[in-house]
Amino acid sequence: MIAVLQALADGLMIGGVYGVIAVGLSLVFGVLGIVNFAQAEFMMLGMYVAWFAWRYLGLDPLVGAALSFVAVFCLGALVQRLLIQRIMKAPPVAQIFLTVGLLIVLENSALLLFGPEFRTVKTAYQTRALMIGPIFVSVSYLSAFVAAVIVSGGLWLVLTRTWIGRAIRATAQNPMAATLFGVDTRWIYAVAFGLGTGLSALGGGIVLSYSSVSPTSGSQYVVLMFTVVVLGGLGSVMGALVGGVIVGMIQSLSTLVMPIQLQNLALFTIFIALLAFRPQGLLGSPSR
Amino acid sequence: MMRSLLIIAAVACVALLLGAVLQPRGYAVRVVCLILLAASLGQCWNIVGGLANQVSLGHAAFFGIGAYTSTMLQIKFGLSPWAGLPIGMLFAALVSVLLSIPTMRLKGPYFSLATLAFGEACRIVATAATGLTGGPQGVSVPFAGNSWLLLQFRGAGAYVPVFVGLFVVVCVAFTLLANGRLGYMLRAIRENEDAAEVTGINTLGVRLAGGAISAALTAATGTMFAQFTFFIDPDIVFSATSISIRAALIAILGGVGTLAGPIVGALVIVPLEELLSAYLSNKAAGIAPLIFGLILIGIVVWRPSGLVSLVTQRRGRT
Amino acid sequence: MTPIVEVAGVTVRFGGLVALSDVSFAVRPGEIIGLIGPNGAGKTTLFSALVGLNRPDAGAIALDGQRIDGLRPHRIARLGMTKTFQNTALFPAMTLLDNVVTAAAVRLPLGAARALARDCLEKVGLGAAADTDIDDLTFPQKALGEVARSLATAPKVLLLDEVMAALTPNEMDAVVATLRELRDREGITLVIVEHHMRAIMRISERILALNFGQLIASGTPAEVSRDPQVVTAYLGQPDASHA
Repeated sequence: MIAVLQALADGLMIGGVYGVIAVGLSLVFGVLGIVNFAQAEFMMLGMYVAWFAWRYLGLDPLVGAALSFVAVFCLGALVQRLLIQRIMKAPPVAQIFLTVGLLIVLENSALLLFGPEFRTVKTAYQTRALMIGPIFVSVSYLSAFVAAVIVSGGLWLVLTRTWIGRAIRATAQNPMAATLFGVDTRWIYAVAFGLGTGLSALGGGIVLSYSSVSPTSGSQYVVLMFTVVVLGGLGSVMGALVGGVIVGMIQSLSTLVMPIQLQNLALFTIFIALLAFRPQGLLGSPSR
Repeated sequence: MMRSLLIIAAVACVALLLGAVLQPRGYAVRVVCLILLAASLGQCWNIVGGLANQVSLGHAAFFGIGAYTSTMLQIKFGLSPWAGLPIGMLFAALVSVLLSIPTMRLKGPYFSLATLAFGEACRIVATAATGLTGGPQGVSVPFAGNSWLLLQFRGAGAYVPVFVGLFVVVCVAFTLLANGRLGYMLRAIRENEDAAEVTGINTLGVRLAGGAISAALTAATGTMFAQFTFFIDPDIVFSATSISIRAALIAILGGVGTLAGPIVGALVIVPLEELLSAYLSNKAAGIAPLIFGLILIGIVVWRPSGLVSLVTQRRGRT
Repeated sequence: MTPIVEVAGVTVRFGGLVALSDVSFAVRPGEIIGLIGPNGAGKTTLFSALVGLNRPDAGAIALDGQRIDGLRPHRIARLGMTKTFQNTALFPAMTLLDNVVTAAAVRLPLGAARALARDCLEKVGLGAAADTDIDDLTFPQKALGEVARSLATAPKVLLLDEVMAALTPNEMDAVVATLRELRDREGITLVIVEHHMRAIMRISERILALNFGQLIASGTPAEVSRDPQVVTAYLGQPDASHA
C-alpha cells in the first residue's frame, strides 16, 4: 500500500514535468495544425542549454531552464519562418517528412557538437529527501514539480491575459477571422512555434535537474510526449498538463508490476490503443 | 505497364552484368548488393506509402520479423533460410493485418505516429525476449561454407543473382499493384475514401491486402539482409531511423508512388552512405545521418515529387 | 409491385443534433423521385444514410427487399445503390476514364472494365472527354462524369446530389434528357436532390419534401408545390425565388 502511495506521489511529480514538455507539442499542433515529430529534439537542445548554463555559469538547471526557453524559442521561431512556413498548406506527407528530417538533423547535430556522452548536473539538493508521513519525497522531484506548476501558471497567464496570447488563441480557432482583426498570422505562427518548442526546452531543463542529457534524449521522450498529448487531446493545453500527470502515474505504477525495460512497451501499447479508440483524447472534445 | 517491366528488366540486367564482371569478393560488388537491397526496401514501402498514401514509419517491424524468423529457425531447428523466408513473410503479413485493426482508420500523421510506436514496440520486445531472439547482444547466422541451399556465400558477388531476384519480385509486385485492379482501387482510396466506398470498393479490405503484401515483401528483404550481413541485433533490424525512415527516404528522394523512385533513391543514397562512412565516419559519428536529414528536408521543401520529377517534368515541357 | 427502396422510421443524430427524424417512404422500381427542402433540411444526410456512409440511429432501410442499414457502403454499392457527391468527388489524380474504370474494375477484369467505362461515358455524352484530367473538366462535365462513374457500378438505384447545380438552362435540359433516357433504357431508379425548382419539377414523377429532418410532404410535383407546409418552409428562403 505504501509502495502504491509512493509510486503515485512520484508519478504526480514527474507527470507535472511531462505536462510542461508536452504542452509545447500540443500548442504547436493547436495553432499551426502541424504534428511536429522533432518536438522532443528541441527539448533535448533545451537540456543541453541548461547543462552548459550549469557548467559554465553555475546556474541551477531549474534557473538555466529559462535560458533554454529563450534560446530554443529563437531557434524554433527561425525554423518556423525558414522551413515550416513553406509546408503549412502542404499535404500531410510533406509535413511528416519535414519534421522527421528536422528530428534527424537536430539529433545528429547534437551528436557532432556534444559527443555521445551522457551529461548530468550536480545540485546540493539532489540526494535529499523529505519524509511526508510514510512517503519519501525527493527534493529534486519536488522542486521540478514546483517549477512545472509555476511554468504552467505563467503559460496560462500569457495565453489568457496578454494580447499575444489572445492572438495565438484566435489564430488557433480561426486564422481567417484572426487576420480580419488585424493579427498577422504568419508572425503568430512563428511565435507559437517558438513558444511551443521553447516550452518543451524549458521542460527539458527541468528534467535535467534529476536526469541526464545525451543526443538520444529526444528519442527517449518522443513517444512519451505524444502519448501525453494524445491522452489529453491534441491541441489542448489543459489536456496536455493533465495527460502528463496521468502518464507520470501510469509509468510510475507500472514499475511496481513489470521490469523496467518493458515500461516503455506499456507506454507504446497505451499510445496505439489511444490513437485507435480515442483519437480525440480521453479528456473532452478536440479544441481544433 | 510494358515500360515499367522494361525498366525493371534493364536494371536487373545491369546488376547481373556488374555481378559477373566485378571482383566477387570486392567492395564494388558489395555496394551493388546494398543498392539492390535498399531499392527493394524502398519499393516495399512505396506499395503502402506511395500507392495507398499511408506514411508508415514502422516498416522496421516487418524487416526485423523477416530477419529474425529465418535466422532463429536456422539456429534453433537447422531450417534453411529458403524455408524460413516464406514463414517470415507469412508471419509479417499476419502481424500487419493484426496491426491494422487499431491503425486502419487513422489518417495522415496519426497513422505515422502509430506505426512509429509499433516499430519501436517491436524493437523493445525483441530486446527483452532473450529466449526468442538472443536479446540485445544479437545473433549470428552460422556460417557453413558457400551454399545455395543455406543461401550463404563468402563473397558478396554470389549474392547478386539472389538480390536481383528479390528486386525483380518486389518491383514486379509494385508494377502489378500500381497498374492492376488493386492499383486503381488503392489510388481511389488515396484520393477520396468515401467516394471509393460508394463506388463499391472495400476500402478496408484493399488497404489490408496492400499492407500485407508490403509487409511480406519487407520481411523477405529482411531475411536477405540477415543472410548478407551474417549478424543481426534488435537495434539494427528494428531501427526506426536506419530501416523505417530510411525506407521512406529512399522512396521519397526518388519519387513517391513511382516505380523508378526507390531505384533512383537507392542509387543516390547507398553510394553516398558508403562515401561518407569511408571518409568521415571515424572522425565524426552522426555526419551521415545528418546529411540524410538535410536531404530529406531539402526534398520536401524544394522538390516534393522527388528526383524522378526532374526527368518527367522536362519531358512534359518539350 | 414491391418497392425497390423502403425507408422505415430512419433517424440520424449528430451529437445532440437530430439531422433526420423518423423518415419513412418507399420508392417503386423505375421511378424518378425528386427530394427537395431548404438548406440543412437533411437531404444529403438522407443520401448518406441510404448508401451507408452514416449509420441510422433508428429505423430500417431495405433495398430490393433486403435490409441494408448497417452494411458498409461498398456492400450497398454492390447490391445496387450508390450516389454522387455534392460538389463532385471524382478522383483528381486520374483521368476521367480511369475514374470510371475504377468503379467498373470492382467487379470486372481490367479489359472488360475499360470497355464498360467507355460505354458509360458515352451514355452521359462525355465520350470525347475520356482522357481529360479532372482539373480540366468544366463543372457540368464533372457532375456528369460522376454520374458515369456511378453507372459503372451497375446501379439499380442512383442517388444524384445536385448534379445540375451551376448549369445553364440549356445544359440543364440536356442533363434532364440524359437522366430520363437512363431510366427509360436501363430501368435505373433515380432519386434526385436539386435546388433548382424548375428542373426538379420537370423531371420528377414524385416529390418528397424534407424540412428540419422531417418528411413534410410527398406527392406529384403539382401537389407538393401547393402544399402549405412546403410553401412555408421555402418562404424567406433564397431558393424560393427559383420556385
